[in-house]
Amino acid sequence: MLAARGLGMHFAGPEGEITLFRDLDLTIADGEAVAVLGASGSGKSTLLGLLAGLDVPSSGRVYFDGTDIVALDEDDRARLRAGRVGFVFQSFHLLPGLTALENVMLPLELADAENPRAAAEDALKAVGLAGRMAHYPAQLSGGEQQRVAIGRAFVTRPRLLFADEPTGNLDQSTGERVMDLLFRLNREHGTTLVLVTHDPELARRCDRVLTIADGSLEEQAA
Amino acid sequence: MRAPGYALKLLARDYRAGELRLLAAALVLAVAAVSSVSWLADRVGTATTGRAAELLGADLVLDASDQVPARFADKARATGLSTNWTVGFRSVVLAGNHTQLVSVKAVTPGYPLRGRVLVKPDLAAPERPADGVPEPGHIWVESRLLTLLDLHVGDTLDLGAASFRISRLISLDTARGNIFSSLSPQAMINRQDLAATNLVRPASRVRYSLLLAGPPSALSGYESWLKDQDLTGIEVERPSDSQRGVSEVIERARRFLGLSALLTVAVAGVAMLITVRRYAARQVDRVAVMRCLGATQGDMGRLMVWKLVWLGLFAGGAGVLLGLGLQSGMLAMLSGLLPSEMPPPGWRPVAIGWLTGYAGLMGFALPTVLRLRRVPPLRVLRRDLATPGRGAMLPYPIAVAAVLALMWWQASDVRLAVTVFAAVLGTLVLLAGAAAGLVWVVRRRQRRRGGLLQLTGLVRRPATSVVQIVAVGLGLMALLLLTVVRTDLLDAWRGRMPPDAPNYFLINIQPQEVPGLTHYLNDEVGVQTRLLPMIRGRLVAINGRDVKPQDFDAGRARHLVEREFNLSYRQQPAAGNRVVKGRWWNGSARPPEQFSVEQGIAETLGIHMGDHLTFQVAGRRVTAKVTNLREVQWDSFNVNFFVVSPPALLKDFPSTYITSFYLPPDRTDVLPELVRRYPSVTVFDVGAILRTVRSIVDQGARVVELMAALTLVAGIIVLLAALQVTAEERRFETALMRALGATRRRIRGMVRAELLLIGALAGLLAGAVVAVAGHVAAVYLFDLSYPVQPLLIVYGAAAGALVVWVAGGLGTFRYYRVSPMQLLREPENG
Repeated sequence: MLAARGLGMHFAGPEGEITLFRDLDLTIADGEAVAVLGASGSGKSTLLGLLAGLDVPSSGRVYFDGTDIVALDEDDRARLRAGRVGFVFQSFHLLPGLTALENVMLPLELADAENPRAAAEDALKAVGLAGRMAHYPAQLSGGEQQRVAIGRAFVTRPRLLFADEPTGNLDQSTGERVMDLLFRLNREHGTTLVLVTHDPELARRCDRVLTIADGSLEEQAA
Repeated sequence: MRAPGYALKLLARDYRAGELRLLAAALVLAVAAVSSVSWLADRVGTATTGRAAELLGADLVLDASDQVPARFADKARATGLSTNWTVGFRSVVLAGNHTQLVSVKAVTPGYPLRGRVLVKPDLAAPERPADGVPEPGHIWVESRLLTLLDLHVGDTLDLGAASFRISRLISLDTARGNIFSSLSPQAMINRQDLAATNLVRPASRVRYSLLLAGPPSALSGYESWLKDQDLTGIEVERPSDSQRGVSEVIERARRFLGLSALLTVAVAGVAMLITVRRYAARQVDRVAVMRCLGATQGDMGRLMVWKLVWLGLFAGGAGVLLGLGLQSGMLAMLSGLLPSEMPPPGWRPVAIGWLTGYAGLMGFALPTVLRLRRVPPLRVLRRDLATPGRGAMLPYPIAVAAVLALMWWQASDVRLAVTVFAAVLGTLVLLAGAAAGLVWVVRRRQRRRGGLLQLTGLVRRPATSVVQIVAVGLGLMALLLLTVVRTDLLDAWRGRMPPDAPNYFLINIQPQEVPGLTHYLNDEVGVQTRLLPMIRGRLVAINGRDVKPQDFDAGRARHLVEREFNLSYRQQPAAGNRVVKGRWWNGSARPPEQFSVEQGIAETLGIHMGDHLTFQVAGRRVTAKVTNLREVQWDSFNVNFFVVSPPALLKDFPSTYITSFYLPPDRTDVLPELVRRYPSVTVFDVGAILRTVRSIVDQGARVVELMAALTLVAGIIVLLAALQVTAEERRFETALMRALGATRRRIRGMVRAELLLIGALAGLLAGAVVAVAGHVAAVYLFDLSYPVQPLLIVYGAAAGALVVWVAGGLGTFRYYRVSPMQLLREPENG
C-alpha cells in the first residue's frame, strides 16, 4: 500500500551539505501498524512528511497504492490525501476558532462528504467527547485536545493514518489512554498506521518497528 | 540587570529578526507625516501670509490721514525692517477737455515691499515687472484710463497743478487695495512730484501709509513695541485684514491642511495600534522564557519601557529625517507657485514629530506591551496559558485619549479637533458595531448550514475579522475622504469662484439709465446681469445712541463708521446669501422698517438681532430694526451689501445702481462703446485681483493634495497591518488544510471569498460614513454645499473588495507555494 524506494534527503547547511538519510527502502502492507523509532534529529518526522506527501524528497520515489506521489504536483498529492489519509500531530494542530465538533467536521467538508455533522458527532462520541462538542480547543485539556485530533483523523475513515509523536505533549497516563484509543480505532477501522515516536514502549505496540539512525533504516524483530 | 543597555540589545535583536519592521515603519510614517505636514504648514503658511502681504504691498502698514510720525519709521529701520512711504488720494485728471476721477498713489523708490507691479510700455506689448517706480514727471496709469480719456502712451495729462507724461500702463499692482474703496482707475506718480501737484493740503482726504516688511522675528519685535505706542489717528493693517475674499480663501486653505494633518495622525495611530498588538503577541514566548530564567515583572516592565524609549528615539529620528525630505520634495513640486525665497525649515516640527512619535508609542504601544510583563512563566511548559485577560481593553481608552490630545495640539483649534476626533471615534464605534453585527450574522448562518469552508475566516476568527473590517474600513475611509470627497469639496470650493466670476463692475448708474443699460448689457453685449440699487448712508445711531468712531477699538470698525455705507433694498435674499439668524421678510414685509445685516459686520460693530439702526440718508434719518443676520459668500465676487432693507423702506431715496458681470477677454472691445453711451457710469476691472485670488486657491489646493497623499500612505499601512494580523493564523490554517487534502485552488477560493467579503463589508461601511461625513464637513466646517452621495457606498464596497483582495492575495500567495510540511514546521508563534 505504501512503499519508498531509494529515498534520500539532503539540506544545504552552513558547512556544506547535510545528508539526513539516503537510499531508504521501505514497504508497508495494508492494515499494518508500523512504528518509526529514532532519537531527536534523526529525521523520523521528515520521513513521515515524505511518506505522507507533505514534502518531496531530494531523491527516490514514494508509492501510494502504486502511484508515484513524488511525480505528482502538490495539488494532486492533496487530492490523493483528501479523505484517504489522516494525521495526528504532537501539538494537536486544532484550529482555535472552531469548536471540537467543527474541527472534526473540517476534513469531511474538504472531502465534500454528505452530512458531515452527523459523522463528526459519531466520531467525537467514539473518542469519548460526546459532552465536549461545543467546546473550543482552549477550553479542553491536552488529552481532550488530542482525542479531538484523533476523532478528526478517523472521521473520514482513512486507509492510512500518520501519527507524529502523538503523546509528546501529554503526561504518561493521559498518553497511554490516548494511545489505547488510537490503537483501538486503528484495529476497528483496519487502518494502516505509521507512528513516529522516540518511545520504545509505544513502538513495541505496533506490528513492526523500524529504527532510524545515522541516516539508515533498520527493522527490528517485533 | 541594566535595563537601558539590555533593552537596546534586545531591540537590536528584535529588529534583526524582523519583528519590529512594521511597527517601526508605522512609527516612522506617523512622525514623518506629522513633521512634514507641520513643516509644510509652517513654511507654506508663512509664504501664504506672504501672498496676502502682496495684496497689502507690505507685511505691516501704518495708515494715517496725516503724516505718520517719523519715529515709527526710525524704530522700524532700527529693528531691521525695510520701510517705504506712499500717499494715496483721489483727484481728477485732465486731458484736453476730458476729465476723469482717478485714485492716485505717490510712491517712493522700492515700492512695493511685497508683491509686484506689472506694467506694459503700450497697449499691445506684453506685461512685465516694473523696474522701479515712475520717474519724476512721469505718470503710470491703468489702460482703461486711456480708453476713458481717449489718450495714448506718451501723451500728457494734468494732475492738479502739474503735468505728467504717460510712460507706462499698469496692468497689475497687487497692492492696489480694497477694490470697493478704489473704484476709479489707478494712477501712479513719484512721491517727489507730489508737492508740485499742489493737491495735498491740510483739509484734503489723503491717506499716508508707512509700509514695513522684514523677517518674522523683526516684525514681531516691532509689533510688540507698537503695542506700547500711542496710535491715535493711526490704523495698523496686517496681511490677514487685507482683502476680505482673500483672507477667507487663506483661512479655508488652512482648515484643509489642518484636517489633512489630523487625519494622518489618527490613521497612523491606528496602524501603530494594530502592529503593536502583533508585536506583543510575538513576544509572549520570549517573555515567558525570561520570566522563567528569573526576570521579575518589574524587570520586564522596565525592559519594555526602555525598548519603546529607544524605538521612539531611532524611529522618531528616521521619521523626522524622512519628514524633512518629504517637505523639501513637496516644496520643490510647488516651486512654481511659492515665492522663491522660502523661510528656512524651523525646529518646531522636529519637536512636534518626535513628541508625536513618543505620544503615539506611549498611547498606542506601551499599554499593550506592558501587559506582557504578566505573562506567566509556566507558559514555557503549557503553551495554552496566555496573558491574563485583565486590562486587555486598557490600551484602547489610552490610545483614544492620546489621539484626542495629538489632534488638539495639531489643530490648535478646539472646534476642528473635537469635530474630527468625534468623527473618527464615532466612525470607529460605528464600524466596530456594524462589523460585529455583520460577522455575527454570517457566522450564525454558516454554522447552521455547516458550510465551514465558505467564509471560513469570519467563522473561525470573529474577533480578528471585526478588527480587520474596522481597520480596513478606516483606511478606506481616509482613502475615499481624501480622493472622492476631497476632490468634490475642492471643486465645490473652486466652484464658488467659477471661471466666469464677475470681472467688471459698473457703478454710478443713474436710475433713468437702468432700462437702457440693462437692455444693452443683456441683449447687445450678451451678459446676464441685474442692476442693483445702491443708497449711500452713514450709520449714526444704534438703539438711539449716537455712534462715534472713537467708540470702537478696532480700526476696521472705526473705518466703517467714518465712511458711508452702501445700502440696498430687495424683496428676496441674493444668491450666495444665507440667513443665519432671524428670518428674511416675505411678501409685503410689514412693517417695512427692517434691516438685514451681514454677519461679519454685525460682529465688528457689535450689532445684534433686534437692535435699531439709524442711518443718515440724503439728509434724513432712517431707523429700522435688525430682523435677520446674513452670511455672505464674499469670494463669489458678486455685488453684495452689508445692510439691506425691504424695498418699501428705501426705494424712494435717491439711489444709483451697481452691477457686476463677466466679460470674456476677447469682448473687452465693448467697453469704449459702453463708456461712450453712458459717460457717467464708472467701469472697473477686477480681473487682476481675481487672478491673484485664483492662483492662491490653486496653490492651496495643490498643497492639500500633497498632504492627502501622506494620509493615504498611512491608510495603506493600516490596511497591510490589518491583513498581517491574520496572516500567521492563515498560514497555519492553510498548511493544515493542505495536509488534510485541500488543493491550493480550493484554499485560494476560500481565502478569496473571505477577503472579498471583508473588503466589501469594510468598504460598504466606510462609504456610508464618508458620504455622511463629507456632507457634514462641507456644510458645517467649510460652508460649502455638498449633498450626501449614495454612490460613495458603491465605490467604497467595490474599492474595498478590490484593495483587500489584491493586498491580501499578495500576502497569502507565499503560503500556497511552499510545502505544507515546511509551514507546519516553521516555529508557530504564540
